[in-house]
Amino acid sequence: MARYAMVIDLERCTGCRACVEACKVENNTPTANLWMYVFRFEEGEYPNTHVWFMPRPCMHCDNAPCVKVCPVGARYKRLDGLTATDWERCIGCRYCEVACPYGVNYFNWKDPAENYYLDWNDEDLAAVTGGTTPPYRNPDLDQPYGSEQRRVAGGGRAKGVIEKCTFCVHRVEQGLLPACVANCPLFALHFGDLDDPNSTVSRLLRRKPSFRLLEEQGTQPRVYYIGGKPPTTETRQIEEVKARV
Amino acid sequence: MTVRTERLPYGVGRLTGGWYVLIGVLLAFVVLGLYAYSRQLAVGEAVTGMRDIGTMGGATWGLYVAFVVYFVGVSFAGITVAALIRLMNLEFLKPIARMAEVLTVIALILGAFSILADVGRPLRAILNLFRYARPQSPFFGTFTLVISGYLFASLVYLYLDGRRDAALLARIPGKLQGFYRAWAAGYRDTPAERERHERASFWLAIAILPLLVTAHSTLGFVFGIQVGRPGWFSALQAPGFVLLAGVSGVGLLIVIAAILRKVLNVPDQLSPQVFRWLANFLMVLTVAYLYFVIVELLTTTYAAHYHEVEVSRALLVGEYAWLYWASLAFLVVPFLVLFAQFITQRYNIPLIVLSGMLVNLAAIGKRYLIVVPSQTHGTLLPYGTGAYAPTWVEYSIVLGLFALGALLFVLFVKLFPIMEVPETLVSEGAAQQVIEGG
Repeated sequence: MARYAMVIDLERCTGCRACVEACKVENNTPTANLWMYVFRFEEGEYPNTHVWFMPRPCMHCDNAPCVKVCPVGARYKRLDGLTATDWERCIGCRYCEVACPYGVNYFNWKDPAENYYLDWNDEDLAAVTGGTTPPYRNPDLDQPYGSEQRRVAGGGRAKGVIEKCTFCVHRVEQGLLPACVANCPLFALHFGDLDDPNSTVSRLLRRKPSFRLLEEQGTQPRVYYIGGKPPTTETRQIEEVKARV
Repeated sequence: MTVRTERLPYGVGRLTGGWYVLIGVLLAFVVLGLYAYSRQLAVGEAVTGMRDIGTMGGATWGLYVAFVVYFVGVSFAGITVAALIRLMNLEFLKPIARMAEVLTVIALILGAFSILADVGRPLRAILNLFRYARPQSPFFGTFTLVISGYLFASLVYLYLDGRRDAALLARIPGKLQGFYRAWAAGYRDTPAERERHERASFWLAIAILPLLVTAHSTLGFVFGIQVGRPGWFSALQAPGFVLLAGVSGVGLLIVIAAILRKVLNVPDQLSPQVFRWLANFLMVLTVAYLYFVIVELLTTTYAAHYHEVEVSRALLVGEYAWLYWASLAFLVVPFLVLFAQFITQRYNIPLIVLSGMLVNLAAIGKRYLIVVPSQTHGTLLPYGTGAYAPTWVEYSIVLGLFALGALLFVLFVKLFPIMEVPETLVSEGAAQQVIEGG
């Protein structure tokens, strides 16, 4: 069984947020739900300032606080290390969200169908689209995955359930890279199997010093950062995406 | 043969104009709450002020969770007081035993409804908790120990405790006779039966006290073991919950007892002695809780890490300062009032009632302050400060829940004697009836 991990090279990231866009298109997430988010950070005092960027997917922690607190086991760990959300079982209590120190969970506050950037069923639009299936309605997202055969892929599922980054489980199971990794123009994001010593992630982590976010919380995240340092209490967020439902 | 309808004690079964108005007003608020809830069901929880923690800069738990904790906290009073009366043979407190039990049962029902108001998929919540419940989740204790176990134990206690009165009232002919007969279920108040009941309720009271501590603690653990939220992770959280539960519960019990004393006109049964005991109990609980507040304050400001201090700052001098200091004042002032009464040994019922009301406002404030600031001001990654303000939907639902609670209480008062029926009252009536009937 694989042990998937993501390695993010902060030296390469330019904060273009292509990963954010790729994630939204691939996973069909409603407005303001940013499963992948890129912090733009500023440190220091003018004129000695330093700007840097930090992508923030779900950390897919091995000792995940969200898995521990879920009252019905809708949030669970897969054998391959992915932290999955079974939206068919979720009761919407949002305990995972308050337990998560990274703020990666997104609740569907509205019916997702009414919360997309583009209303596919709009009358004016229908003239162009001709009633076809929306391109973001990828049939792969509706399949059950893993040995437990639970529907954990994709977003924008139902009102009143929690969703978050899946590491694109529907792509990973087919041997593809997660959408954010595949679409990064600068190869700042890497994804692979830590059990395979020849995988990109294994080689990168052998060669370079790395850190994980809020490691002191004991969450054992599966996302490693190289080529930089963690944000400190002096780090300020700039150009924040102000997205609220 | 003339069947004379006996008057039931404490105005049971008699609804006068004022009661109809009261019930009507309460029903109106319940309907308002239901309407608000229907909006929430139809549109989704976007109609509330809650939003996601992180990029959305919100609080994902808001007023509903604060009131889950508050209502469950209020339930403390009832059964504790009832069990203490039973275990320590506090005969003079007997008149408040049943109203305390009813308060517990109603508060727990309201707590369960608040949970349903909060979850995104209420129907699925009920089903999936039976199918997939995980004991590892701190919520497990809330659902099993608090809502199920505690509520069930309280209902059994209320039932056993009321059986004698039901048996007595079942002798009086009237519309409610069948109901009392069903409640009594064959109980005839013979010495042997009474002895058996005494024993059963004694052991139940012994079992309820530890259940009470564990149940309120599990609710504290919902917050207290979350390392990812500064301001929550504290060993004081669980015992603090138990204590604040006691403060709010006893406070509300005082208010209810005072209202019933006035409405039912029973100043002799609910004597000043009863209020004196409740006032002293409330004073001890309040000062113990204040001690916890001070210990927590020192720990989280003097030696806490950065994010912990940020949350404390928001509480002490920041956005939540007005609520924090108001809540603290509403604990300190009642304590001083009660303490002054204790020292001078001159008790004033209106002042005790005022203290009961103030500590409840304080309890609501403190619950809100536990739930919300750690989400808006306690993100460990530099997301920036969040904001949360409840909307009319949340206020209406909470108001509706209070109205529902009051309504259930009023209906109970009109259905069953809220205080133990004096032996003389019923036996005389029954004897008279036997004579007339014969």
